[in-house]
Amino acid sequence: MYCFLRLSVLLVGLIVSVSSYAANAVQPLTTADDLGPKVEQPIEFPHDRHAGDAAKGGMQINCMYCHTYARRSIVAGIPPLQKCIGCHQNIESVRETPRIKKLFEYWEAKKAVPWKKVHDLPDFVRFNHERHIQRFVFAQNKPVQEACGYCHGDVKTMTVARRQKPLSMGWCVSCHQKDHPVDATSTKTTHGPNDCWQCHK
Amino acid sequence: MIENSFNRRDFLKVLGWGGATVALSGCGNTSVEDGREFVTSYVQTADYIIPSIGTYFNSTCAQCDAGCGIMGRVREGRVLKLEGNPKSPTSVGKMCGLGQAGVQAHYNPDRIREPLLRNGDKGEAITWEKALALINEKIGGVKAENIAFLTGGVSGHVKVLLKNYLDALGSGHHYVYEAVAPSIMRAANKKAYGVEMPRLRLDKAKVILSFGADFLGAWVSPVHFSQQYARFRKADNGKRGVLVQVESKMTLTGANADRWLAIRPGTEGILALGLINALSTAGLSVSGDVVAVVKEYTTDRVSKDTGVSAEHIAKLAALLKERSPSLIIAGSAAEGYAHGSQNAAAIALLNQVLGNVGKTVEGSSGIPFPQMAPTTGNRQALQALNDNMAQDKVKVLFSYGSNPVFTAPASMKLKENLKKVPFKVAFAHYMDETAVEADLVLPLNSALEDWGTVMPEYVADGAQLSIRQPLMEKLHPGTLGMGDILLALLKQRRPNEYKGYEDFYSYLRNAMVSNKGALGGADADDNTFWDAALSHGMVKLAGSPVNISSHVSVNGLVVPAPFAEDSAYPLHLIPAVSASLRDGRNANEPWLQESPDPLTTIVWDSWVEMHPKTAAKLGIVEGDIVEVASKSGAIKAQVYVFTGIHPDVISVPLGYGHEAMGRYAKGVGVNAFKILDPIFDKETGELAMHETRVKVSKAGQRVIIVKDEGPAGGQQMGRKIAVRMSSDKVNLSKEV
Ligand code: SF4
Repeated sequence: MYCFLRLSVLLVGLIVSVSSYAANAVQPLTTADDLGPKVEQPIEFPHDRHAGDAAKGGMQINCMYCHTYARRSIVAGIPPLQKCIGCHQNIESVRETPRIKKLFEYWEAKKAVPWKKVHDLPDFVRFNHERHIQRFVFAQNKPVQEACGYCHGDVKTMTVARRQKPLSMGWCVSCHQKDHPVDATSTKTTHGPNDCWQCHK
Repeated sequence: MIENSFNRRDFLKVLGWGGATVALSGCGNTSVEDGREFVTSYVQTADYIIPSIGTYFNSTCAQCDAGCGIMGRVREGRVLKLEGNPKSPTSVGKMCGLGQAGVQAHYNPDRIREPLLRNGDKGEAITWEKALALINEKIGGVKAENIAFLTGGVSGHVKVLLKNYLDALGSGHHYVYEAVAPSIMRAANKKAYGVEMPRLRLDKAKVILSFGADFLGAWVSPVHFSQQYARFRKADNGKRGVLVQVESKMTLTGANADRWLAIRPGTEGILALGLINALSTAGLSVSGDVVAVVKEYTTDRVSKDTGVSAEHIAKLAALLKERSPSLIIAGSAAEGYAHGSQNAAAIALLNQVLGNVGKTVEGSSGIPFPQMAPTTGNRQALQALNDNMAQDKVKVLFSYGSNPVFTAPASMKLKENLKKVPFKVAFAHYMDETAVEADLVLPLNSALEDWGTVMPEYVADGAQLSIRQPLMEKLHPGTLGMGDILLALLKQRRPNEYKGYEDFYSYLRNAMVSNKGALGGADADDNTFWDAALSHGMVKLAGSPVNISSHVSVNGLVVPAPFAEDSAYPLHLIPAVSASLRDGRNANEPWLQESPDPLTTIVWDSWVEMHPKTAAKLGIVEGDIVEVASKSGAIKAQVYVFTGIHPDVISVPLGYGHEAMGRYAKGVGVNAFKILDPIFDKETGELAMHETRVKVSKAGQRVIIVKDEGPAGGQQMGRKIAVRMSSDKVNLSKEV
């Protein structure tokens, strides 16, 4: 009787685990499924208009002009509202458009815009923006949009951002295993750190 | 059946598989919140604010009256961690565990969030307008002399506003009460040295003889003293100072001493006089009138009276003679008796004879703004209020910063007398024992979200005004700062004078900026001065030094003979002031309950400390629940058998045993304040905290004490830890 009980509990555990594993194991690394959910934002922010190519009507603004924290902190941060207003108070041409009107409503009420998070990692993962930007943009002289794009995709073609990459551990590691030159001029190469504790502190 | 057969190993196996499923589903991004979680940005922010990187702001600790300078790490608008302010002469970048718990006072779930008006047994939430109007109405209905304000120690601009408010009401009844305060020492110091709180230079002393002053744990300004102590131990000249601690119950400081001497309770003064006699016999020049008084205190007699061996007395005298300057400190253990003032005087006399006054006991600094100087409190003030309440002379009572219903001995019958006051207003953070009795409870901002200035009683260096500034936005919109409330109340009385100030912040800024000349900002423009003051967390004041005198007179210095035995109440009760809980005002901060007592390692409960000999005599072992009964009441708690206590003494820590206050404090341990006998120091009228005699009897139960300590000689990871050694095996003869 005892043995039976023990066995059955073990078996149930096993079956549950295997089925769950099976469900997860079939996921390939890059497909359309990598796309994150469509996120509805309080203001539909046009990344394409701000960062897009001039030929396509974009302003070609550097990512780091607004996401100024990315090079200085582990989080890229959403710019403070004052940053938007700083420019937009001088751009009369779009002042009366619905999105900008809404923006000024928040500003006048001194209320933060309740943006939704588009790229989220589990709480046990610590991703550091600063390290990546310092390495790719400042040491290797890679264009900013390319460096950001490794993880965020081609944001300059989007309106509101949507997750483009799986951001799973295997995906991170696949890049960390590749050799990169140490800096823009060096022939020495290295790869990203692959110690567990780099991300799981 | 399953419990028996389904053992831990099987369970782990199953959990292993189950765990694997959980981990795998983790890979499938089930724990991420794409598109669901908000990522809120600032509306406006300063350039130096970077998300995820802490910014430090200076302020002043409010956890005890030492008023250390602190800085708080603030991230994304939340205060996360406190550190000492390196620029503060009191804390020099350090702080204590009690101070660290300040964030738990701030984020505490039991904080009161809106004004509450009594409705039967319940408190009903009302608006601030209504609360303030109600106060106005109640005050209008009584005579000024029937209005009383009870506070803990206050200083700075809140004190100024409080005084102005009382003046505006025409009431002179400001009672200041501190439950655990060195009141007897203050009086004795005033008499001996001319100042209440001389500077003690531990760092300059070569020997410190402390009579029960727990200066590393809970006494006066422990963070500051700890740093001086470090320099005393590792002096610039390479000579390590020697600390001898004489007390009946070991304190944290006693545990750090080179020599810990257990003394029969109350005989500290006798030992001090005996040491003077031994010093003069050994050739130290002592004036004739002093010799005349002390000559009868021969080493033999002193040894018999105090229980300290003649050998130790001789060694101590030789040490004090050889190494000068020394420093003799009278702590709460020496003053806690009906003859506490005499004990303190005898100890001051020893300092004088040794020539320490002016060397290790220095004068303090005069305070340029006496209206902001700290008002220190004592129990007599509470007694006066209590008497007035008993005679129905108090119609409206305000209470702020003290919790007398918890700390007053039961014999005062304070709770009963409080019921006679028709309208009681409590300014409070928690529904503590006093707030529960109130008719109107006004919720205060936490110290980490409030404005204020503090002038600590013990300042390390010169005079200073410490600034308390908000480290973050208020957590609860319904709370207010004490300064704001007083300002609102003053606007009711003196609208013309105060209507220009929108809030306490504008009052404070204006008051400081308009006096910037005296606050060290004569050359700066207003904004520069104010910003610098906030950034430093304090302003230095130019105080004239107060000279110290030394005229302990031996006239009338009589130290009574040791206590006679009392067969009905054979033991002395020492209510211990612990470094974490002190008088119990912070008991609702779980870190403090959880951090083990430094000596016994006990957590989350009260205990009765007892010498093994006494325990053996009573047939008690560790964990026995005993009843400790004094003439004034009885409490029950677990016994902890401990050699660091005199066999005639038992000790129970203070601060436990709350009946209200919050989820972490309520019902944890027992309240030792309640059973203290009403015996008072003869000179100052202060409660003699150590005078209570008790009897101990087994209550029948036995528990396993929850503590960190393992068995003696215990092992950790195969290595011996904290090896115990009995004190007679320690050879300190080279030091002493
Ligand atoms: S000694 Fe008092 S004021 Fe100083 S850090 Fe500790 S609790 Fe705060």
